[in-house]
Amino acid sequence: MEHPILFISIILEKLGLPVPHGFVGNGLLEQLCAPYMTYTWLVMVFLFVVSKMTLGNLEMVPGGGQNFWEILIGGLDDFFVENMGREMADALFPMLTTFALYIAVGNLIGLIPGFMSPTSNLNTTLALTIIVWVTHHVIGFRAHGFNYYKHFIGPMWWLIPLMLPIELISNVARLLSLSIRLFGNIMAKETLLGILFMLAGAFFAPLPIMMLGVLVSLVQAMVFVLLAVVYCAQAQEHAH
Amino acid sequence: MSELKNEMIHLLANYGHVGFTFVACIFVGLGGGIVLDQKVFNGRTAPWFTFIGLAFGIAAGFKTLLQILWRVKDKNDRKDDRGLSDK
Repeated sequence: MEHPILFISIILEKLGLPVPHGFVGNGLLEQLCAPYMTYTWLVMVFLFVVSKMTLGNLEMVPGGGQNFWEILIGGLDDFFVENMGREMADALFPMLTTFALYIAVGNLIGLIPGFMSPTSNLNTTLALTIIVWVTHHVIGFRAHGFNYYKHFIGPMWWLIPLMLPIELISNVARLLSLSIRLFGNIMAKETLLGILFMLAGAFFAPLPIMMLGVLVSLVQAMVFVLLAVVYCAQAQEHAH
Repeated sequence: MSELKNEMIHLLANYGHVGFTFVACIFVGLGGGIVLDQKVFNGRTAPWFTFIGLAFGIAAGFKTLLQILWRVKDKNDRKDDRGLSDK
């Protein structure tokens, strides 16, 4: 396939930094200059700068930028409270909102030519997933202490030999399914756009896929956050 | 329109991951069985733990499937209760 034109990689190459030609480089510097890393930083900088620009001076009567954030943050907060209660929503709000914003912007940025979705690399999504996975176990241990093991042994004692492996497998499968779903959807979108652009870019062939891409990007960001919320809520509530 | 779109996105979020979770469960179970067979017991128990792991993986897949269905059903029941008590 045609190598995509990523402008940050081109700038870094002109600056004399080693940009890897595969997905991940060999040395430390080469790994830091991999496209998915540089675009992760771009998304981070974008979120910092935009929120600083629009929320730098808060006003009683909000302008356009502040309005946008108030709707977004208010909507996310309502959503978290509805699914896991006020107390836990307050505790986890910064982490989950960061995930939502980062994943949504990271997915959408890949639709612009010259950019790449950092979430179309398994390293990024697996890192996010491991954070969620560890967090939900930490929440479970903090809520129940040692009794957290009761979540894994099923409803009756004579079902333990059957339920314990099943529960453990389905818990580990969360790592796999959460990371690979996000990665697979976004990489499929990027690859499809690349191929269509190469085949019939002059006839606007990628345009319908781009419209679907907007939907997929937003839905996948929402699915990731919804599942993180559900896992945390399940870890906190009492075992059946 | 907005209500409909909202509900569609909720449905997508709730049911869109059914397939992936199912497959992931089966592969984790199968992988665990293969590791037990080949690495822990050095192939002495060869096909057995693989089959047992596969069976448990499939069972775990169905368990997560049912869990997703029950969770959405519980939520809808609670919503209905609240709607009735409001009236």
